[in-house]
Amino acid sequence: MGQVLELKQVCKKFGGVVTAQDISMSIGAGEIHGLIGPNGAGKTTLINLISGITEADSGEIWFEGKNVTKLPAFKRGRLGIGRTFQVPRFLNNSSVWDNLMLGMDLRSQVGDLKSYFGIPKVDLEAELEPLMEAAGFELRWDDEIGSLPFGQLKLLEIVRAMLAKPKVLLVDEPAAGLNSMEIDRVSTLLNMAAKEQGIAVLLIEHRMDLVVDICKTLHVLVFGKLIAQGEPEQVTALPEVIEAYLGRDDDDQD
Amino acid sequence: MKKKQVIEKRKIICGLAVVLLVAAVGMIPNVYSLRVISLALIYSISAFGLLLMLGMGGQMVFSAVAFMGIGAYTTANLCSGRLGFYLNGTWAILISIVLGGLMAFLFGLPLLRLKGTFFTFATIGIVQIFYTFFLNYVPLFGGPAGISGIRTLSILGFSLDSYVKWFYFLAVVAILVMLILNRARNTQFGRRLAAIRDNEIAANVLGVNVYWTRVKAFTISGMLGGLSGSLLAMMAKYIAADNFSWTRASTFVIMAMLGGVNSAPGIVLGSIIITVLPEVMRGLDRYLMFLYGIMVILLMILMPMGLSGLVSGLAKRWRRKRQARRER
Repeated sequence: MGQVLELKQVCKKFGGVVTAQDISMSIGAGEIHGLIGPNGAGKTTLINLISGITEADSGEIWFEGKNVTKLPAFKRGRLGIGRTFQVPRFLNNSSVWDNLMLGMDLRSQVGDLKSYFGIPKVDLEAELEPLMEAAGFELRWDDEIGSLPFGQLKLLEIVRAMLAKPKVLLVDEPAAGLNSMEIDRVSTLLNMAAKEQGIAVLLIEHRMDLVVDICKTLHVLVFGKLIAQGEPEQVTALPEVIEAYLGRDDDDQD
Repeated sequence: MKKKQVIEKRKIICGLAVVLLVAAVGMIPNVYSLRVISLALIYSISAFGLLLMLGMGGQMVFSAVAFMGIGAYTTANLCSGRLGFYLNGTWAILISIVLGGLMAFLFGLPLLRLKGTFFTFATIGIVQIFYTFFLNYVPLFGGPAGISGIRTLSILGFSLDSYVKWFYFLAVVAILVMLILNRARNTQFGRRLAAIRDNEIAANVLGVNVYWTRVKAFTISGMLGGLSGSLLAMMAKYIAADNFSWTRASTFVIMAMLGGVNSAPGIVLGSIIITVLPEVMRGLDRYLMFLYGIMVILLMILMPMGLSGLVSGLAKRWRRKRQARRER
């Protein structure tokens, strides 16, 4: 099966701090992979490297058989690498409508001039319907984005990324700060992305229940190094993973 | 469906109000007042460039005045006979727009690689460079004496030979430009500019070519400058470098701040106030800049989004109150 996203020995240093060391992994279409690790392990850095927000020092990033290592972020976005952020990034002075339309703009890929005259015709509302049903809340178009509660913003950012019809979706801690009902919605949305739209999903998350529930494969990152890769049940049972990530239980030592 | 109808209704009411307002102002018997207001409309077209760059794109620029100068001197050369011929005014406008845009494009191409504030500084440089040329290079710009004897505009044989005619014509042009810009707000281009303004990283991830979008916006602002300069030359019949100095550049910024950087009607209002003010305060010219200074400071403290921000803030509060009352 063809891999949508492939990393080959990707390295990144900030000053003397190694945040990614020889990272190799690959994700196929329709798969959800989890990226776990303690705080400061370099999880967000890895997503930044893949989406082009930061450039890798060495190694290669391949997307759909194309080397994208040197491409600027906006070109990777246009190719189909979508992402969300730990703290949602929206246009704070614009309406909900405008914010979501940016996702549709990315999908339609027409020039500014063509779009000025209304070509192509996009039906945001029709596209949104199934997504908002999965997200579990309703939108009012005139609302300014700042007036939405945090949980809805986190879900809406996944929706915006999905509107663009990406091939890869990088999701950075979608469940952080959400209640259990909203977390269910996150997993509904991500499952929809993978199963129905065949998107390759890479999920950073601390909530192990969510990760184990929806991920096919887990990658464990510690100090910029991948220390384990594999199925969730196996990986979470490995002693080095338990020690590094879940923490050693000192009572068991002696 | 219902919401659309409300918006349609609102549009018709606004349109009627604007037509009535323009007609009423056109009735002002004092020709001099009409000239001042016409001048303000011309300035507002240049200031719309600031709306695009600062209001919609979040990038402060001072350069509107430089591209206005390009347009003005282009038209002055083509329509004053100093090159040995008189070109039709309509063509002069088109050429001025193209040259204004081209200059902005050529300067924007290398300079828009600069981030935020550094680009702002660069636009100050653009103003000074052009001002120096306008003031000193006689063959193209007439030197300190400027260029006079510019023919007025005539469109399809209809000559704009009075300030009343100029006023109506400029009102139409300003409204057209406003409509064009306001439509842009709701298209991909407008959204992408807003994304750059509000969240550059999100813009990148959403496939926005930040550099190129900014080059486009700057080029359009240059075209607007070219248009307004061309109109200025033909209405005033005489232009000199003083029109395009650093002082003038800063008054453009004050116009936009007073009206509200992200509102086209606000900018028109701002430029009318700033253009009329010196006329009202005749004899107190010495204190004008002092007054501007005080005004800018008060503006930033009391209403940072200008008059339009004040109005829309009040409207929002009123709507919320009404909604709350209905819910009760």
